Amino acid sequence: MFKPRALALTALAAVGALSLSACGGSSSGSTASAVIPELSPDQKVEITFESYNLTQAGVWTDTVKGLVADFEKAHPNITVHAQPPQGGSGPAGSNTISSVQTQLLAGHAPEVAQLTFDGLDFAATQLGAQPISDLVGQKAIDDALGGAHPFHPKAMHLADWNGKTYGIPYVFSTPVLFYNATALEKAGVPADTDLSTWDKVEAAAKAVSAKTGKPSLDVACTSIGGNWCMQGIFKSNGASVLSDDRKTIQFGSDAAIDTVTKMAQLTKDGVLRNADANSQLEGLAKGDSAFLLQSSAVQGMLMQAAAKGGWKLKAAGMPAFGSKPAVPTNSGSALFILSQDPAKQRASWEFIKFMTSDHAYEQISTKIGYLPLRTSLTQQGGSLYDWAQKNPLLAPNLAQLDRLQPWVSYPGNSYVQVDDVLGKAVEAVVYYGKDPKSTMQDAQQRAQDLIK
Amino acid sequence: MAFVLTRPAAHTRPAAHTHPAAHTAAAQVGVAREADDVVAPSQHRLASRSRVKVISAAPAHVLLAVLALVSIYPVYWMFVTAFRPAGDALSTNPLPGPVSLENFLTVWQQIPIGSMLASTFGMALTLAAAQLVVAVLASYGFARWSFRGKKVLYLLFVGSWLVPFQVTMIPNYLLVSQLGLLNTVAGVVLPQLCSAFAVMMLRQHLESFPKELLDAAQMDGRSSWQTLWQVVVPNLRPALAALAIMLFISAWNEYLWPSLIMQKSTALIQIGIRAFLGAEGNNWGAIMAASTIACLPIFLIYIFLQRYVVDAFVRSGLK
Repeated sequence: MFKPRALALTALAAVGALSLSACGGSSSGSTASAVIPELSPDQKVEITFESYNLTQAGVWTDTVKGLVADFEKAHPNITVHAQPPQGGSGPAGSNTISSVQTQLLAGHAPEVAQLTFDGLDFAATQLGAQPISDLVGQKAIDDALGGAHPFHPKAMHLADWNGKTYGIPYVFSTPVLFYNATALEKAGVPADTDLSTWDKVEAAAKAVSAKTGKPSLDVACTSIGGNWCMQGIFKSNGASVLSDDRKTIQFGSDAAIDTVTKMAQLTKDGVLRNADANSQLEGLAKGDSAFLLQSSAVQGMLMQAAAKGGWKLKAAGMPAFGSKPAVPTNSGSALFILSQDPAKQRASWEFIKFMTSDHAYEQISTKIGYLPLRTSLTQQGGSLYDWAQKNPLLAPNLAQLDRLQPWVSYPGNSYVQVDDVLGKAVEAVVYYGKDPKSTMQDAQQRAQDLIK
Repeated sequence: MAFVLTRPAAHTRPAAHTHPAAHTAAAQVGVAREADDVVAPSQHRLASRSRVKVISAAPAHVLLAVLALVSIYPVYWMFVTAFRPAGDALSTNPLPGPVSLENFLTVWQQIPIGSMLASTFGMALTLAAAQLVVAVLASYGFARWSFRGKKVLYLLFVGSWLVPFQVTMIPNYLLVSQLGLLNTVAGVVLPQLCSAFAVMMLRQHLESFPKELLDAAQMDGRSSWQTLWQVVVPNLRPALAALAIMLFISAWNEYLWPSLIMQKSTALIQIGIRAFLGAEGNNWGAIMAASTIACLPIFLIYIFLQRYVVDAFVRSGLK
């Protein structure tokens, strides 16, 4: 009974090893013959899928588990064990890579892992994420991301590394300025006021603050943990955190210093509130603040709070600096293959295709509220059209995708520490009045030492 | 979520943490003795002295009362938030109400809280029992016999207590993985079978155990093994009960280690509570409701076995 299967598997492994070594040897990428073989219909494969959405009870876990069940129904020969990352004290999504690292040490990493984009460099160079474009061929990826409702062009290549696709973008969001329109109206500001620039946001926030007597603006990007969108704020002002050749840290540049100085001015003017990410979210929900620039993923939570609190929630795009265009960056994650076994790799690829299909985004968007990366689903005739019509808050988020720039991952093993150095420096300047120039340049130097 | 009713430190240095009641009692005994010594005690002097005592003790009592309130407030807040409607979870009204079971319903529907409680109870009980048995045997060995290397061995025990868990976490994880015990309660329990704190505490108790009793048992012809179970353990019952409660509570509150080992299952309550924390906002109402449920077994155990805890404190304090 077992022998033929064992033989088949051995043969498969041999083919896989050969194809892998072929991949390793070829500098031009994959060839048609090098791709991992398809699974035969009766070939049973088990894979483990690690997703941080499973950390959270309710719609997050239910939706992912529902999709896994749908996949297993469509692929009866593949069994998927879905698991959350190992425990950590941070919020969901903050320990995706360390969890995989620990399991790798023990020799049983998940075959498919949902990893955040800040670890892309590390995942591709250190963690052993497999180049999917080598495994299945670029055409297969193009076909999967295309179709009747293709991925948004800006979303397609967010997890590409050195010309190869290492991950397929899965769920992400962009920074959106949510605001309490009722509070604005009470302060004499029209609900649909123009909030396209920081100056206009400050003027509106000043009006609300004058009415309430307390700071009314929260910006998640300038507090610890918000670096993904701080990168967007930097880019909107012509600054960057890392040079194009990925060798030089640049958040001590004049443009970067100017950016944090402008943000610090909001604190000095009494409109920017000093609060951590959770308090910011709860601040807007409770009515303590009136504006919150945060990931569009919090929309569902804020909509509930607004409905219960009897106030009107509205959303605007990320503000710009004067006439310079605002450059939103993305948060979120992509799906990576970590398996070395060709059969499991093939099963993983089938699973990833399913989890990024039209059906998956219909479920993910309507149930969890994440942005559908196949954006045309929200257009007339698409299956998410009705849902999008009912969610007008989605519009600024979708519109921003056209200007999206990727969340930059830092090189080297200390990418988390580099991010931490930047987060602390930005907080010190923006909220605690530290000298922008010396603080940012000092942070840049320390971060530079970390990536050498 | 960590809910500790008693800190181990109070046990290791009993003299420094004598129960306040004991202090008062001792003070009163002292006063009475002084009164006996005086041949013709002046009632007036005695009364004024005790009044001075009361007045001088007042600030301490006020301080203790304030500390007690500060300690109890988070627990009070947990109950108040848990019993509020889900929409009022962020309310800052210090008074309870309006009462709703909505959060408990959410918890019941979204996580398997019943089975989580049962398996956490099983895990904590197994761990506490195993640690207690190891501690009884080890401390008996330390207290009863003198042997070469005893001090070094004891220092090693103490030393292991001083090594932070984070240092041994990954090697232990790898070992458990190699043993094939990942995602099992045995994997959670095995590396923690020996609690250095428990050994230290029991050794202290055993050091002050009357040697005459041990000698008498020996003369009666009891073996060391029989002496341990027939003489020592019955006499140590209050101390063992107190220790068992503490070990149980700390096992019950374990989070990081079980979350590494039991990754695939939602078997343990402390991991279950975490399911309501998220990057897109925390469901505080459900967190508080789940925490309230998680605290209840500990409360019950403490209420029913409290006498043993107090007994142990008072005895060790007076010895």
